[in-house]
Amino acid sequence: MIFSHFTALVIFALIVSTVFAMITKNEPREQLRYGVFVFLSFLAVAFLVGWLMYPLPL
Amino acid sequence: MDQANEHVESAPQPAPVQSQPLHMAATLALCSGGWLVPGLAHILIGRWIRGIIFAACVLSMFALGIGMHGKLYDLEFDEPLHVFAFIANIGAGIPYWLAEHFNLGVGTMNWPSYDYGTTYLWVCGLLNYLIVLDAFDIAQGRKP
Repeated sequence: MIFSHFTALVIFALIVSTVFAMITKNEPREQLRYGVFVFLSFLAVAFLVGWLMYPLPL
Repeated sequence: MDQANEHVESAPQPAPVQSQPLHMAATLALCSGGWLVPGLAHILIGRWIRGIIFAACVLSMFALGIGMHGKLYDLEFDEPLHVFAFIANIGAGIPYWLAEHFNLGVGTMNWPSYDYGTTYLWVCGLLNYLIVLDAFDIAQGRKP
């Protein structure tokens, strides 16, 4: 099983945000809102860090 | 009109649902079950939808980690940092020992998704620890 970096990141973010949302919030609407926020935050931070690292000679 | 408003204001509000706290021994037994089988603690408490979702998250993450040829760490004191990886891995409970028994978590370092798989295996164990703590709080009546 081989995933691209992005696919692995999206699956990771989806699972972790689901668990975080269900642990920290009690109401379904709050859980949905917080889960979407955490999921999008994962993606946004990954894109940001990726672009910041882009010019580095790694 | 005023009487109607008074009637509305004095209407009994539904009391927040507060479950009776379990004994500490029962809570610890519950948490042990939740550690060994992800999601089981919530199912036993009666939060079965939450338990099924947690079980699906942890077990799918574990299966994906194994599928990506991630490595499961054993308890080795020669490499002190591997102890932390071992602690994270055993958080998954019985799936860890099943995978070890069937030699599934060997880890193929030259596999493209090896690092991702190993990270998935760590994180699913750590998530299960959080899930068990959540079940502990619910069982002790600290959380609705």
